[in-house]
Amino acid sequence: MTDLFTSIEGSTLAAWVRESPSIWAYATILTLHTVGLAIVVGANVVVDLRLLGWATAIPLTALRAVFPIMWAGFAINFATGVLLFMADATTKSVQIVFYVKLTCITLALIVARTILKRLRQQDDRLRAFAIASLFLWAGAIVAGRLMAYL
Amino acid sequence: MPDLIPFAQWLRATPASEWINSSTWVWPLCESLHFMGLSVLIGITGFFDLRLMGFFRRVSVEAARALMPFALVGFAVNVATGLVFLTGLPEQYVSNRVWWFKVAFLALAGLNAGFYETRLSAKVLALDPHGDTPRAAKLVGFVSLVSWFAVLYCGRMLAFIGDAF
Repeated sequence: MTDLFTSIEGSTLAAWVRESPSIWAYATILTLHTVGLAIVVGANVVVDLRLLGWATAIPLTALRAVFPIMWAGFAINFATGVLLFMADATTKSVQIVFYVKLTCITLALIVARTILKRLRQQDDRLRAFAIASLFLWAGAIVAGRLMAYL
Repeated sequence: MPDLIPFAQWLRATPASEWINSSTWVWPLCESLHFMGLSVLIGITGFFDLRLMGFFRRVSVEAARALMPFALVGFAVNVATGLVFLTGLPEQYVSNRVWWFKVAFLALAGLNAGFYETRLSAKVLALDPHGDTPRAAKLVGFVSLVSWFAVLYCGRMLAFIGDAF
């Protein structure tokens, strides 16, 4: 596996992300990763707070319209996240917090998919999922931040 | 840019600044909270902005605004944690042009929201709650969306433009 990460990090694309002095390389990719984060987590916060019983004037069925925005934000972060990982693959692949972050995101996406499915089935007993979603996204943010420190 | 260097030097010499810089956990903790705060703020504000722009019409304008108190909590968290960063490394911020752009976009977002609340909200709420919104409301929603993402953009980019950090 180490060889794989070394070759990824040594690729032309990874070197460009990491070393290019261009503002469109590392700086813009990292900033887009934060834009995507705001969209994904922000959209989840809206859905979760409604499911927890706030803003009951928002019809539950209308929440489904928020999910495409969520997926778009995630697509931005998947793409930029892959590039950021490639740039420092050997370092990030041995960070425990990196795997904590990936686990939180994977579980949070499963929770979001489940919420969407249950909303389609008119099932509104989703408080536990909403709480899990909020904690998992918070966990992903903290783990992501700690990658810069540990 | 206003010359805040003397103020920044004074601030950097305070015990509060010393403490922020000597601690290993204050900075990453505040950064994590700053990211959570911006997500809550942009998520909830963006939802309302999109409604003002005419999207999500199954949600009434009033209902789309109902989560706004949480957005204010997110904003308060980010003002508090932002002041921690400013106190920790004041010169890095006040001498960075991008930081002043961030402050300007914050002011624009604030004035835009103030304009909506004082001049436009009552008119919009008097219309069909599930109908299209007037052009002025669409513009307010658009300006809000753009300014909050610009605040985020400047905040993240100030580490790379200019010579901070």
